[in-house]
Amino acid sequence: MKLSNQEKKELDKFTKFLALKSTQIIVQSRLGEKLSTPCKPHTTGTDWFNLNIKDLPEVLAETKKVMNGEVLSSRLPFCVEISLRTAEGDHMVLESWCLSLLPERCDPTARIVHTVYNRMGILLKSLVSVTRVTPAYKLSRRQGPDSFVICYRIYMDEPQVHCLGEGYKQVHIGQICTPIGTLQLSVSYRTKMTISPTQAGRGDSMLVKSDHFNTNLGSKSKSDEKTSLYDTMKLGAFVDYKKMPMPDPQLILPSPPFAKLFAKTKSHRKPSEESLPDSVNVEDVKSSQEEVKEEEKNGNPAATSTTLESRLQSLTMTPTKEDFIMVELKAPFASTTAKSDLSRFLRECQAAPSLQTFIDLPPLGELQIDKQLESFESDLNEYDTVVQSLCQSPNNN
Amino acid sequence: MNARSQIFELTVEGRQADEAVASIFHTVLFHRSLGKFLYNNEGSYSVGTVGYTDVDCDFIDLTYVCCTSASLDQTIKKEISCFSEQLRGNEGTGIGQISLEFFSKETKSMQECTPWEVWTVRLELITLNNEGERQVCQEKVGELLTDKILYITEVMNRHDYLPKMPSQSELDLIFDTSYPEVQPYLFKVNYSISGPSAGTSVGSTMKKLIKETLAL
Repeated sequence: MKLSNQEKKELDKFTKFLALKSTQIIVQSRLGEKLSTPCKPHTTGTDWFNLNIKDLPEVLAETKKVMNGEVLSSRLPFCVEISLRTAEGDHMVLESWCLSLLPERCDPTARIVHTVYNRMGILLKSLVSVTRVTPAYKLSRRQGPDSFVICYRIYMDEPQVHCLGEGYKQVHIGQICTPIGTLQLSVSYRTKMTISPTQAGRGDSMLVKSDHFNTNLGSKSKSDEKTSLYDTMKLGAFVDYKKMPMPDPQLILPSPPFAKLFAKTKSHRKPSEESLPDSVNVEDVKSSQEEVKEEEKNGNPAATSTTLESRLQSLTMTPTKEDFIMVELKAPFASTTAKSDLSRFLRECQAAPSLQTFIDLPPLGELQIDKQLESFESDLNEYDTVVQSLCQSPNNN
Repeated sequence: MNARSQIFELTVEGRQADEAVASIFHTVLFHRSLGKFLYNNEGSYSVGTVGYTDVDCDFIDLTYVCCTSASLDQTIKKEISCFSEQLRGNEGTGIGQISLEFFSKETKSMQECTPWEVWTVRLELITLNNEGERQVCQEKVGELLTDKILYITEVMNRHDYLPKMPSQSELDLIFDTSYPEVQPYLFKVNYSISGPSAGTSVGSTMKKLIKETLAL
C-alpha cells in the first residue's frame, strides 16, 4: 500500500509535533519544579495527542530553530541533551533523549490518523513518566544558581553518548510502526555522577593532581609521568579526538599506577563532526531573564573532580575495587595518618588471623579415635531420645 | 480470552506500602485513561485532553506522574489504604497483594465482565531498626519502583490488545464515565492478605529435614 501525498503530509506533521511536544516534556521536567496541568473537556488547537502539555515559547522557538522548517521525518534522529553546569562553569552531560527512525521496519498497514496518532499519545505519556525517574530528575529538583543549573541543547544528529561517561544506560521508551518506518524514542543517561579526570580537559591541573597518586614513581622524571598520564587520560566531552596526538608507544609506562582511575576505553568515544551549539539553561527558560551563552567555545567544558564532587556530595556512588585501593593508599582527601580507624580496620580484614580451632588441631595420627568412639557410645541413650522426640512430633512442618 | 497479567513483587517498610502501590497504579492509569468523550448530535465525538500532575513520595525517593483528577486519585487512595491497613494490622503476616484489573462488560449487568489486563503488586513488609536503614530502604525502594515504572512504559508501548472503541450507547461497557476529568478504561481493585498459618520456622524445617533424611 503506497502512502498518498495527503497521508505522507499528515504523518510528517504528526512526527513534527511528536518532536515538539517531546522537547517540551523533557525540558519542563528539568526546570526543578513540580508540574501540574489540568484536564480539559474541550481540546483546542495546541492540545496535541489529547495530552495537556504546556508550550514554553522559548523552548518552542529553540526547537523550531533546530528543525529549520524542514521535514523532520527525513532528518531524524532528533536529540535533546540535558547537562549540568556548576557555578564555577564546570559542565557535565547527564542524558540524551533521542527520537529516531528505523526505515527498514515499517508497517504499511498502520492507519495513520487513528493508530499512529493514538500511539504517539501513549508514547508521550510514557515519556512524561520516564522523565521523572531518570537520575537527572532528582538533580534538577536540587538545582540553584549558587550550586549548579541544568541546561538543554537540541540537535539533529546521532545521540552523543560518548559524553555520558562509562557505564551509561540506555532505555527504550517506546516505538511506533508507521508506513515510513519505526519511530523510536529512547534515552541514554549517565550513571556515574562524578567528573573524573577522564572527562576533564585541563591538562595542567590534571598533572598536578596526578602527582598525588604517583607515590610509586617519586623518582621518575617529570616527562615520563606526563607521557604515561597523557595516555591514560582520555578526551574531554566535545573534543575532536582525531586531532589528539598519540604518544610514542615506547614512552608509555607498562602499567601506570592507578590507571583504572583515569582510563576509559576508546570504544566509548565517537568522533563528532558537527560543531556544538550552545546549551540553554533551563533556569533561564523559567525566568526568561537573561540569555545564557556558554563560554565553552574554546574547546572543552572542563571540570575537576573536586568542584563537582563537592557539589554532588549527596549522590551515592557504588563502591568499586578502585575505591578500595584509594582508601588503602592515601586517597586525595583522606587523612594521611596510617593509624586511622578505617585503614586499620581494612588492614585487619585483609590479613585476618586463622581460626584458633585449626591452630590447636593435633596431627591426624595423634587423634584419639578410640576415645571419641567410646564417648559416642556412652551418649547413645541421648541420641535415642532425640530420634524418639522427632518421631513423636507432628508431621506438618 | 486470557487477560494479560503483570506481577510486581516488592519488600517495603509499612509506611511505604501506600506510596509504592500508588506509584504503580497511577502510572498504569495515566496510560489507560483517555480524555472525556464529548458526543454531538450526529453521533460523532471529540476527545478531551488529559492533564497530569507530579507526585513526590514522602517515604520513598521517587516522583511519579498521575492524571490530574481528584476523584480518580481519591478512589485509588481509598482502595489502597484499605489494603494497607489490613496488611499492616496485627493479625496479618505482613504479606499481601493488591491488583488493578481492567475489564469490559458484555452487557449492562455487572456480572458479565471480562478482564483484559491485570496489574498485581505483591508486598512483603519488613521492620527496620534505625534511621540509617530507613534511609537506605527509602533509596532502594525508589530504585526498584523506577525499574517497575520503566517496565510499565515498555508494556504500554507494545500496543497489545485494547478493547475496541465503542459506540455511544456502549461507552459504559468499556470506559468508566463517572469521573468528571478523565475517562479510564473500566477497572476494579482487589486485594488479599496472607493468613498467619503459612509461616514456618527454622526449627520446624530442620526437624522435617532430619526426619526425611533418616526416613523416620
